[in-house]
Amino acid sequence: MSRIGVFVCHCGENISRTVDVERVAGEAAQLPGVAYSCDYKYMCSDPGQNLLKKALAEHNLDGVLVAACSPRMHEKTFRKAAQSAGLNPYLCDMGNIREHCSWVHEDREAATAKASDIVKLMVERVKRGKALAPITVPVTKRALVIGGGIAGIQAALDIADAGKEVILVEREPSIGGHMAQLSETFPTLDCSQCIMTPKMVDVANHPNITLYTYAEIEKVDGYIGNFQVTIRRKARSVVEDKCTGCGVCTSKCPKKKIPNEFDQNLGMRSAIYVPFPQAVPNTPVIDRENCTMFQSGKCGVCAKVCGPQAIDYEQQDTLVVEAVGAVVVATGFKLYSIDRKPEESPIKGYGEFGYGLIPDVIDGLTFERLASASGPTGGKILRPSDGKEPRQVVFIQCVGSRAREKGISYCSKICCMYTAKHTMLYRHKVHDGQAYVFYMDARTPGKGYDEFWRRAVEVEDAVYIRGMVSRLYQRDGKIVVMGSDTLVGVQVEIEADLVVLATAVQAQDGADLLAQKLGISYDKYNFYSEAHAKLKPVECATAGIYLAGACQGPKDIPDTVSQASAAAAKVITLFSKDQLERDPVVAKVNEKYCVGCLQCKKVCPYGAVEEKEIRDRQGNLVKVVANVNAGVCGGCGTCQATCPSKSVELDGYTDEQIMAMIEAL
Amino acid sequence: MTTINQNCYDSVTEAIRREAAKLLQEQTVAAVVGYVAGRRPGTASPAVAKSAEDAEKLVFSPACVNNLALFLSKAKKGIVPKGKTAIVAKGCDLRALAGLIGESQLNREDLVVIGVACAGVFSAAGERSLPLSDANIAAKCRECTIHTPEGVDVVAGTLPQLPDFDPVEAKELARLEAMTPQERWAFWKEHFSRCIRCMACRQICPFCYCEQCLCDRNRPQAVESSPRPAGNLAWHIVRAMHLAGRCAGCAECERSCPMDIPLNLLNRRMAQELKEQYQYEAGTTPQEKGPLNQYREDDDQSFIK
Amino acid sequence: MHSAEKKHDFEPKVVAFVCTWCTYAGADLAGTSRMQYPPNVRVLKFPCTGRIDPVFILRAFQKGADGVLVSGCHPGDCHYMAGNFHARRRFAAFRVLLGFVGVDLNRLQFSWVSAAEGGKWVEVVTELTERVRAMGPMREFKELEQEEQWSATLTTPELQQAYESI
Repeated sequence: MSRIGVFVCHCGENISRTVDVERVAGEAAQLPGVAYSCDYKYMCSDPGQNLLKKALAEHNLDGVLVAACSPRMHEKTFRKAAQSAGLNPYLCDMGNIREHCSWVHEDREAATAKASDIVKLMVERVKRGKALAPITVPVTKRALVIGGGIAGIQAALDIADAGKEVILVEREPSIGGHMAQLSETFPTLDCSQCIMTPKMVDVANHPNITLYTYAEIEKVDGYIGNFQVTIRRKARSVVEDKCTGCGVCTSKCPKKKIPNEFDQNLGMRSAIYVPFPQAVPNTPVIDRENCTMFQSGKCGVCAKVCGPQAIDYEQQDTLVVEAVGAVVVATGFKLYSIDRKPEESPIKGYGEFGYGLIPDVIDGLTFERLASASGPTGGKILRPSDGKEPRQVVFIQCVGSRAREKGISYCSKICCMYTAKHTMLYRHKVHDGQAYVFYMDARTPGKGYDEFWRRAVEVEDAVYIRGMVSRLYQRDGKIVVMGSDTLVGVQVEIEADLVVLATAVQAQDGADLLAQKLGISYDKYNFYSEAHAKLKPVECATAGIYLAGACQGPKDIPDTVSQASAAAAKVITLFSKDQLERDPVVAKVNEKYCVGCLQCKKVCPYGAVEEKEIRDRQGNLVKVVANVNAGVCGGCGTCQATCPSKSVELDGYTDEQIMAMIEAL
Repeated sequence: MTTINQNCYDSVTEAIRREAAKLLQEQTVAAVVGYVAGRRPGTASPAVAKSAEDAEKLVFSPACVNNLALFLSKAKKGIVPKGKTAIVAKGCDLRALAGLIGESQLNREDLVVIGVACAGVFSAAGERSLPLSDANIAAKCRECTIHTPEGVDVVAGTLPQLPDFDPVEAKELARLEAMTPQERWAFWKEHFSRCIRCMACRQICPFCYCEQCLCDRNRPQAVESSPRPAGNLAWHIVRAMHLAGRCAGCAECERSCPMDIPLNLLNRRMAQELKEQYQYEAGTTPQEKGPLNQYREDDDQSFIK
Repeated sequence: MHSAEKKHDFEPKVVAFVCTWCTYAGADLAGTSRMQYPPNVRVLKFPCTGRIDPVFILRAFQKGADGVLVSGCHPGDCHYMAGNFHARRRFAAFRVLLGFVGVDLNRLQFSWVSAAEGGKWVEVVTELTERVRAMGPMREFKELEQEEQWSATLTTPELQQAYESI
């Protein structure tokens, strides 16, 4: 007979308010196999845990059930406590009578009955529990960082500085990301490139960092400590080892009228190009769709002028496989683009703001390029249509964001601050120009942030109008912006030369596909989900994968850098161990009864099942059975549900336990 | 009454004997699994021929009802001597062989398959003294789609012109489908309640080759083992579920049932569903994965909220 | 939403088989959000819907469940990548089989409830509970549990008498 201890928690009043905990404990005592039961105000507190430890010793318990909150909350706590008192931690379980009972029911009688039932079910489970020993797996002390923006760069540098190898993969030809595009950054107005480029160079020169630009993640196999990542290095058409970055090819390329994506299509670039002068690596790439050589087979100028003969028109994509122990995902964001919406998209467009129709309606990032000293206008604010200096500029905030009916309900967080910054940059460049801002709320929490915004309004004379724009149209070379000032209660009409939209921050294109490769979860906006919103903000639910930057949600640079360093710290913590202990909830094969039909192998999502030959002493083959690689097994149990004879069993969720629970219903 | 000419079976018998004798004489195979005539007229039983003399006794007739693939499965290990084996296979046996190969139970290279052109076999209750006809042909043969074997090493015999039989099983299936759940429950309750749990359906099934059946386990007991209505229902549901996507449709379970429970209807219903949903049909080519061992991301989920 | 004051003649027993990563977490969220739903449901936690054997559903009905809910992660969100995809096919087939033997499929509900869908959890549980309540107890399985073997019909009074004396 088992000797189970049942501990019923009041959780202050959270449970005891709707559940008669004394009665639950009393009824538990009557259950066969229960040797001890009690209730206590706060089981998770030190005295509560001590109570558990004491009861374990005094009553010689061989299993523990704590009926309290969700096991997702405190299972670890109580397993640790049980372990310290000499019980195998896997013989300690939790019954969820808070989230699943006291908080969701009002009827005290019904809630108490349910709590008692939960205890009864879980006692059956604990009775049939098995002592499990953690599985140890080796850790490959190399990290993969996906994305070479400020988040990826920071994480890579931190990990590399700790003496660990880092593979940094960037989709674009150069690292730098969005931060490299910015002109000046809030709240200090220091030049973005001035603080960004040294970090980019550090990455390029760091002995512990292997940089793959113009590369994408093809496939991810394995698990924490032991990932195998296949990286597709897209054909650059330029041999990186030979190229000296002299730039002759780009200057001689006859095809020069291609809109430059880095400059938000305002400037022009050649078909063989480096995205921007400070690019890392400073190796050009041939844009095959626009290159005359690739399109018609006639040109070859770049190959002719290239001294070190680095041009290779025949270059193919190559696949590189890297073994890593941890992954930092830092794929960043994109700006919500009004004019480009696929039909089936749940997010609807904002045709009414004229973006994509009126050339002088631009988004925030385009304004950054206009204001940037290295931008297409050399830092002069000139409107795209006719190159004239705008006298009046209207900024519209919350375009796309906080608009449930249009498909995005969240706040993009950075727009209030960057719009305030834009008004200042504009005022600094066009001294007599006037900036107007239509806003819903000014959200400026953060060190020095509110002061920054107040400075835009009070010192730099930006006119803030609380209200949304109702209509916007072209008239005599101007853009007429009509809206309401809800604070004054009047309609306003402004003749603007330039309109800047603070469009919403969205997850990067293909974020969902990458998540599926990595096996991490993401929300309905394709932002990656952290394991816990408050307590595990940089970890994914999938062990060994960490998040940094705006791929997890809209973030400004300080927050991004903090999170990147936090992710790096997590990786370094992981790498500080030689062996990793992992949850022993894995499948095991009963070789006696396995007949080797291998249906388990066919359904295993991890490829953890392999064939194993059983031979007698003479070496004759007796039979072939399935065998589970415990290091690879993820513990889903699909094999067991598939196995006709149940010859494979998932520890921690055995048929015996489950059947007993059903029996106790 | 539509009757099938007996001559075609004689020509199959002749071809089987010739082929079996050759294979055994040349020691290509260690044994030939086939049928011999039973003691009473109109009967036949499975047999393992190990010599050329044995081969002379092999027959094929409408009484050769058994699915011989069963004897190559692990459940019947030891019956057939080790080494390469030849097997006489009707269309339904062939599908079972393909299934067993797909489940890593057999190697095609270790087999010589003598496929027979099969016009049909007797039903369990059919009068066996008469030639095979509409009156005594098995229900499965009425709707057989695989009279001529495919993908075999040798074809024995040729098929005569076959009459169109009334598809009684399909009609019965349609009749059940048209019922209300309560009526179907009553139908199956009556049938399952008669079950005596002799396990003949399991013992005769080529796919029930588990070393220990889930339903024989008592820790935990998933299915009550005594012949009571509740456990009977559970057993037949579990059986049908375990065979879904694997069943070859030989209907041996139904033939061997002493209580005349229409078990093949369950198998047929599952097969029908898997065909409609996943375009899967048991065939003569071994498949790497059955329909329930694979998925597509866009599988139907209209039943899931 | 379920009102606690209302008393019912019949309180159905509803069993929910849920995966730990999505639906269990979704139910937790319903708790932390203090949403209310009928207290009839008893939750059994599994690592993944892929672990849920159809036998469990059958067994739950046999052991007195009036309604069964099976719920896991949305397609593509499975913590184990593909467990729910395999489960989806398995349940599609099993559901047809149960329907074919005459089980009213209104008693068996499948759903995808993510960790973020506390509201959906409440909705699914409430809907199933109220539907099953309206349908009344699951008599079929309960009656079957009580019944003895029929294979020998008690055709004569002597047999009947002998049987009753047992």
